[in-house]
Amino acid sequence: MATPIVEFKNVNKFFGDFQALKNINFALDQGKFYSLLGPSGSGKTTILRTIAGFTSPTSGTVLFQGQPQNNIPANKRKVNTIFQNYALFPHLNVFDNVAFGLSIRHVPKDEIETRVMDNLKLVHLQDLANREINELSGGQQQRVAIARAIINEPVLLLLDEPLSALDKKLRQDMQYELRELQQRLGITFVFVTHDQEEALALSDEIFVMDAGEILQNGTPVDIYDEPINHFVADFIGESNIVKGTMIKDYEVEFVGKRFECADAGMKPNEPVEVVLRPEDLDVTTPEKGKLVVQVDSQLFRGDHFEVVAYDADHNEWLIHSTNPVEEDKDIGLFFEPEDIHVMRFNEKEADFDARLETYEGE
Amino acid sequence: MQKKNNLGRLYLVFVFLVLYLPIAYLIYFSFSTGTTMNTFKHFTWANYQTLFADTRLIQIVLQTLLLALLSSLIATIVGTMGALGIAGTKRMSNRNIMLSLNNILMVSPDVIIGASFLILFTMLGLSLGFGSVLASHIAFSIPIVVLMVLPRIQEMDQALIDAAYDLGASGPQVLNRVILPFITPGIVAGYFMAFTYSLDDFAVTFFVTGNGFATLSVEIYSRARQGISLEINALSALMFIFALALVLIYFFIQMHQANVSERNRKKAEASES
Repeated sequence: MATPIVEFKNVNKFFGDFQALKNINFALDQGKFYSLLGPSGSGKTTILRTIAGFTSPTSGTVLFQGQPQNNIPANKRKVNTIFQNYALFPHLNVFDNVAFGLSIRHVPKDEIETRVMDNLKLVHLQDLANREINELSGGQQQRVAIARAIINEPVLLLLDEPLSALDKKLRQDMQYELRELQQRLGITFVFVTHDQEEALALSDEIFVMDAGEILQNGTPVDIYDEPINHFVADFIGESNIVKGTMIKDYEVEFVGKRFECADAGMKPNEPVEVVLRPEDLDVTTPEKGKLVVQVDSQLFRGDHFEVVAYDADHNEWLIHSTNPVEEDKDIGLFFEPEDIHVMRFNEKEADFDARLETYEGE
Repeated sequence: MQKKNNLGRLYLVFVFLVLYLPIAYLIYFSFSTGTTMNTFKHFTWANYQTLFADTRLIQIVLQTLLLALLSSLIATIVGTMGALGIAGTKRMSNRNIMLSLNNILMVSPDVIIGASFLILFTMLGLSLGFGSVLASHIAFSIPIVVLMVLPRIQEMDQALIDAAYDLGASGPQVLNRVILPFITPGIVAGYFMAFTYSLDDFAVTFFVTGNGFATLSVEIYSRARQGISLEINALSALMFIFALALVLIYFFIQMHQANVSERNRKKAEASES
């Protein structure tokens, strides 16, 4: 196996009494797109700043390509950052902003000229090289920030919520461009965001964080389909979470009924939580449904109807239906055993992965 | 509503009249024959001719300008470093102490500063003259520069400094290429404030100036004791016009820059949507 680009070993970070990072361990490979996803204050930006070298860990080791980096200052690391508000130098024009990293290294003038123009072409800004920063729109500033960060040819590019200041349409365009850029350049991207859709759309691998801990990491599909706990299930996508009991392997009880499911490896009669994604619930007649719920309200979302319904125990159910339903009517809900995802309470990620190994290989 | 607006305008006119009438009066009489400002007799350029023939006064004007340029230059360098130091102080209480010490110098009366400098210089046995005046002007200008530069430093986004380090800049490079260019408007403003303070200071200068050296304000004061000559009016008129020209030039440069960047920004937005 190749040496990871970046590795965190037992990293802790305290700000006074506040523990921002709690025993963080991970390794990032060459050429992948990683996302750190979590609510504000979850420690994702602290990890980013630790990789960049703006803060150093209170304890633990940060390795770059196998080399400990704790005492290497930010300006000596082969890492570049795209900042949340771009942090473009307002006194320099577009060209000089992009050239900054080269000019402080005293790269010859003609080389700077060609490399800056190449990078500006990459982000489609070659015609605006002589513009001042305050004369650019938000999207253009974003591109300048990208060009400036990649001109030093970093092994790792850090992105601190770079799309949060853009409007929705532009944000989606930039998502495609970022993904394409990452694949073309082949550099590892570490993308910090609190927007789960963005993380799901862009990443090869997602780290879900809360309160200074990494709760779960995996591919977007893994995390979406098999969230480790209530927090992850709730944070990633929309979900119906109800309390239940694991009767035995492949059988779970919730809302007073027993269902066949695809999960195993738990104690008999263990209390669990059950996740059902709204798009996995199919609306049918009350007779054919595995569950019967009463429709409370529905909203038209363009590509689907978002239905809110309640069962007899007053659990709320969110359903994405392609066809409209009648309000206040009873409807049946149908779902496959694989649509049910069972979560144990307080399960650690290592145990979770090990348990999945035991029965998923079959 | 309309009436209230007119009243406001009237008040504004009144205020400006009060502010500018004395200067206008002074300039008006610079064209008068005779020796007093009691009555305007005949139009004449004679006062200006005597002004330009008065080499002592011209020399003092030049000395005063030189003093102001030099003292504000040195004060700007020291004051900027001081502001950077204060802004860089991590502990809140230490920073506030330093800022307060700086502000005390701003508000304490010139007479006290002047007297204390006189005591200091005589205690040290320094001779009074250009050197002592320069030193005291630098000293009272530094707090002004600090106050002008500090807000600009605080306005600066910390991410700009991070970005510069991130791109590989060393500490001195961050200072030279990012921090100093960013706070330049504050430094320039501080320089000009220090310049004007030095130019029109009377009290401090009066204490520490010796026999061989005088600034314009001290010279005019000593001449005024024998009755002001209209030559001073002529000088005042010239300096007023000089200052007015500077302000106008600055105004038009700003207008031009604002227009250009506004136009480009609009173009950028139009091309995006």
